[in-house]
Amino acid sequence: MKKRVLALLLIWAMVAGVSACAQAETQRLVFWHSMSDDAGRLISEYVKQFNETIGAREGIEIEAVYQGTYAEAVTKMNGMLSNGQRDALPDVLQMDATGKVSFAAAENAYTVDALLADHPEIDFSGMLAPAMANWRLEGAQLGLPFATSTTVTYYNRTALNAAGFSAPETLADIGALSVLSSDDIAVYAAVPNTPTLANWLGQMGSDLVDCHNGTEGTAQALACIENGALVAFLDAWKDLYATGALVNRSGSTDEFVAGRQLIMTSSSSSVASLLTRIGDSFELGVAGYPRVNADASAGATVSGSCLVMFDHGENRKAAAWKFVQYLTSADIQADFARGTGYLPSNAAAAESDAWQTLIAEHPQYDVGLRQLMETPDTMRSVTVGPAADFYYAIMNDISDMLENDLTAEETAELMRDDLGGMLEQYARANP
Amino acid sequence: MKKTVRYIRRELLPGLLGVCFGSLLLFPVFYGIMGAFKTPAEFNAYPPTVFPSSFGNLDNFRTVFIQVPMARYFLNSLITAVMTSTVRLTVAALAAYAFAFYSFRGEKVLFFLILGTMMLPADTLLITNYQTVSRLGLLDTYLGICIVAFVGASQMFMLRQHFMTAPTAVREAAQLDGCGDLRFVVSILLPMSLPVLLILFVQSFVVQWNAYLWPLLVTNSNSMRTVQVGVTMLTSIEGTNYETVLAGAVVAMLPAALLFAAMRRSLTRTMSQGAVIG
Amino acid sequence: MQRAERKPGAGAVKPYLYLLPMLVFAVGFVYYPFLKTVAQSVAVVNFKGEMTGFAGLDNFRYLFSRREFTIAIANTLRLMGINVPVTLALTILLAWFSARPRRWGPVYETMLALPMTVSMSAITLIFKVLLNPTVGFVNYALGIHAGWYTDRHTAMSGILMLTVWMGIGFNYLLFLSAFRAVPEDLIGSARLDGAGPLTVLFRVQLPLISPTILYVACTNMIQAMMTSGPVLILTQGGPSRSTTTLIYLMYTSGYRSSNYGLAACVSLIAFAMTLVFAVLLIWLEGRKVNYQ
Repeated sequence: MKKRVLALLLIWAMVAGVSACAQAETQRLVFWHSMSDDAGRLISEYVKQFNETIGAREGIEIEAVYQGTYAEAVTKMNGMLSNGQRDALPDVLQMDATGKVSFAAAENAYTVDALLADHPEIDFSGMLAPAMANWRLEGAQLGLPFATSTTVTYYNRTALNAAGFSAPETLADIGALSVLSSDDIAVYAAVPNTPTLANWLGQMGSDLVDCHNGTEGTAQALACIENGALVAFLDAWKDLYATGALVNRSGSTDEFVAGRQLIMTSSSSSVASLLTRIGDSFELGVAGYPRVNADASAGATVSGSCLVMFDHGENRKAAAWKFVQYLTSADIQADFARGTGYLPSNAAAAESDAWQTLIAEHPQYDVGLRQLMETPDTMRSVTVGPAADFYYAIMNDISDMLENDLTAEETAELMRDDLGGMLEQYARANP
Repeated sequence: MKKTVRYIRRELLPGLLGVCFGSLLLFPVFYGIMGAFKTPAEFNAYPPTVFPSSFGNLDNFRTVFIQVPMARYFLNSLITAVMTSTVRLTVAALAAYAFAFYSFRGEKVLFFLILGTMMLPADTLLITNYQTVSRLGLLDTYLGICIVAFVGASQMFMLRQHFMTAPTAVREAAQLDGCGDLRFVVSILLPMSLPVLLILFVQSFVVQWNAYLWPLLVTNSNSMRTVQVGVTMLTSIEGTNYETVLAGAVVAMLPAALLFAAMRRSLTRTMSQGAVIG
Repeated sequence: MQRAERKPGAGAVKPYLYLLPMLVFAVGFVYYPFLKTVAQSVAVVNFKGEMTGFAGLDNFRYLFSRREFTIAIANTLRLMGINVPVTLALTILLAWFSARPRRWGPVYETMLALPMTVSMSAITLIFKVLLNPTVGFVNYALGIHAGWYTDRHTAMSGILMLTVWMGIGFNYLLFLSAFRAVPEDLIGSARLDGAGPLTVLFRVQLPLISPTILYVACTNMIQAMMTSGPVLILTQGGPSRSTTTLIYLMYTSGYRSSNYGLAACVSLIAFAMTLVFAVLLIWLEGRKVNYQ
């Protein structure tokens, strides 16, 4: 009995395999993405639409493959690049900032610059400049923005208004909310990491690492020690903790939704899911990223991901571009933004009726986009080789400062050792 | 009267106690199954509950199968688990046979060379193995998923221990009969070792069914992915869709649990025979 | 352990032939990558994993200077130091309890062995929900506010609970079969001599199942040493490095941050520690373990 079931399953597998190989006429392209949940469902829908319309017309079929988180997808790409497994690489890859360095070094990367060399007529002026700039490395445009986001402040508007407070604008404003904290309710919970620390430093006009946050060369040292920016931020962070408004752990969407954490700084891409989850229990407020102090400028760096292409011959390159063009088109960008909270990456999408209707009804969606446009272009997201280690080391060192009551100066020294050491080590191994 | 007291003391009370232990241990699994029927609203509600308001809510399971090609993942997991366990046990049994019944030059060295593999965990060899597998052109194939798990030193060790329990008399009798290796294996060793082979097969199957990191690394397409990898595809970046995740977890653990339940009798028989003693 | 030599002359090639497949896989997928790891630990390795030069002991020196490293060692030892004895005690106790076949035996035996079938990713996801500080059931049921995986003081306990849970099923099964293999008459005669159940356990049963105890201790020790899956899924080594284990450090520093030289050093150290503990256990075996 068991054997028969197994045999049937095997036959089924073979039939499935054979039928998959039967249609060989169309160009089959592979698209790796890292979107799950609502965003993942939307991706599947877009791919299906593309295959049924443009794809059917031009003989292109896209296979969308979820590759886990960005980190997993990038790890996979690195593995293939180091083994010369060119054929195994996808045609189109959704990639976050941690993949920039290795993609730029890949022999068969089909960068946007290369695309423009092939097709000088293509015009990217419709793309939002800050979103576009985020995918430039050492002057080369690697990919096109797809899932663009920025970090914003979410707050429990109902609770804040009831106590006579308005949206917090600075860390001091958050500190003033400490009167609202209790055993059950935390005002704000956060541990700074690479992008959020870069935001606060950037507001004070400082980069986190040298080479302009690693966008113009391989970063080798911290750039925020000598100018005092890091210590200034750490002091502000300690002051905030002293008020009792800050809890020294990562923010929790669950706690926020349950009304037990009043403020959360998180990606603008969560707007849609937060609105759904909160429902009627309270009013969701969204404000710009908090400023370190009243003198600091407003803004936060771009986060999210882009689409990059790999060269698998002329025909597939052309087909890949058609697909990327489709995903970055105004219609798709507006729809994707509406369904998730990611920001529309091109001007046409931001001006579209769909988007305008949405923000008229839910102004919460608009905050991220406005912040993106207002952020000075000197504030750049951080590109370093040892991205994951760097990220967690920042969190650990700053969290330890509060836990063990170290001074800002001591912590800055520790961070210079930890983070600077990583950068040095990486620069030495990858000259 | 005395008999009743004895029954209560020796059967009923320990039995109840055992079931209590079991229930306590399995509570997380139970909680997971219950949670798979909940709606998102129920998860956000306070206080948290164990039971869903209704078992009619199958949306989460539907989501699991619609969002990812779960049926295909199942098939892939099944094929790779059977393939790995079969090859691994065969390879291990061959080696165990050599060690149990032969004396040969370098025996000790080779024995410890094989046992030594247990000290080198697969996780630490991930990237280098990945390089080997990709050079062999096995990325995104069933063989590529399985091949790194073909070395089963602990299986080899257990089988050797077991083979050595074959009564000396039987073995000598077989030799006197001029019975060759094959006949000795088929007519004596195999029947005698069936229970232990079974338990090792089930264990192997379960381990491979549950493998995560390696299959994630070597598979790139939906047609090759396994269930465990599929389950993690249901978690979102914020990780807040608990009900879908739990439904996925339930679906992923079902086959191994069913296999176990189905084999329970033979496993129990094995246990009572004391087939596995380290 | 005496062994009859089968057909000495004729079998000269055969045993090697039988060993061949095992050796091929062992060399190809364990020893070769291991040697490569050794090579990488003393090499300059770029982000693509290519060795570009000789580094001497630089990688090790850098590793020892990283604070994460000592923390990871301490965490790993702690995990091992608690996990192994707790798992042993729990499973031996449960197996001892259910050693005598009873009418309801199959019911709870199945229940107690079932955790072995539950996959790491599935149970980890369940624990994640169960111990969630907001929506999880445990905090509510116990009336506490613990942060579990989000709090540096409790995260490791949460990981330990999970790893102990995962280890129970199979080890229980092994001990159960070991207990049942102890000859009835030995227990009976001890009983006749007036020994109570505890005396029987310590004087008769435990010594006889000591090979199984050694095996379980060994495999559990290695497993605990290699703990990384739950850390990867639940805590990413945090909060504040409180759950950073050696293998997690290797994964995050090596693969994620493309420092393959460093990763090679970490895995060699994990390997060396495993070896030391295994040798210790085997040495204990030589002294104490009782083979019938």
